[in-house]
Amino acid sequence: MIAPTTPVADGRRDELLVVRCQLGERSAFDELVERWHPPLWKYVRRVTGDDDAAQDAVQDIWLRVLRGIHRLRDGSKLRAWLFGIAHHVVMDRLRSQYASPTVDGIDLENVAVDESPPGFDDDAATLHHELTQLPVTEREVLTLFYLRELSLTEVADVLGVPVGTVKSRLFRARHLLRRELESKGRHA
Amino acid sequence: MNPTYDTITSPEDPSSVRRLVNAELSVASRMGYVALGLAAAIMTAIVASLWMTEPSLPTRTQIGFGAMVGIGLSWVGFATWVLTHRRPLLADHRIVAGRMAVTFTSLFVIGAVVLGLASGGSAPYAAAALGVAMLAIAIVLLVRAHRVSTRLRERRAALERELGRSAG
Repeated sequence: MIAPTTPVADGRRDELLVVRCQLGERSAFDELVERWHPPLWKYVRRVTGDDDAAQDAVQDIWLRVLRGIHRLRDGSKLRAWLFGIAHHVVMDRLRSQYASPTVDGIDLENVAVDESPPGFDDDAATLHHELTQLPVTEREVLTLFYLRELSLTEVADVLGVPVGTVKSRLFRARHLLRRELESKGRHA
Repeated sequence: MNPTYDTITSPEDPSSVRRLVNAELSVASRMGYVALGLAAAIMTAIVASLWMTEPSLPTRTQIGFGAMVGIGLSWVGFATWVLTHRRPLLADHRIVAGRMAVTFTSLFVIGAVVLGLASGGSAPYAAAALGVAMLAIAIVLLVRAHRVSTRLRERRAALERELGRSAG
């Protein structure tokens, strides 16, 4: 494995992985799965809030990745491309789950995952629980930006919205999260 | 169960995805569809050449030939769709598929010419003409496959050099 982890080096490593996959190297696909399955799973799990739904969605995501990677022009954008596919798969599934017949995102705005409250034995668990209480749109943008560490531009690419919209969603998400934490006597 | 950071990450084991990758990346399946497309194209060329060189066929026979050509083209279309959408050919696969196409269409052209010389009929020459067109397409696809592969290999070498330098 190659040591340094600057954004440029990460981009180059991603591109190398994509080029090897596009050549048809079997081991490159194993590395792709090894490297990207855990973050994709965590993202999908966090947005869907359900293990079974996340498992189904992740299989669908990988199917699309395997069938579409030969068309990826710029391998350095692998991260945004993968999360973009994940975003579309998850949103499609949530739309059918909640049978939203109308405008993109309208019903999802108010969808929060119903999970039993955790023991609040540490800050991470508390934060996770509060994240699951946010509407999907806000939960997703926080997950991508903070937990998956995508840049604003990458988040915008993934969600297919302008950077300004990402900023406003982040602002709203942080505000909602802070309000939730403060209402429970904790600091954001 | 409380969904803490640790508990929600347990199903992230990629073994199920590896099974999916094994199934999706089957080379045998891809080459099977390449062979299907080639066989369908060659059979369609044979039927079309017979149809073209028999001008005074009854209408029902004409319809029969037309239907067979249509069915053959449908199989070609189906194989092409699978190889572009469901089992896409990666660079190395494209080279193998291109070589298969060049080999099979060359054999078809040679066979048709030999048959034409032996029988003196016009149908084998019509088939050979269609075969030459298919051979030309196969050569173009093979050349393009080599170009794509060369470009990707050069890029891979450059990236490996770059990452090797930054690691050292």
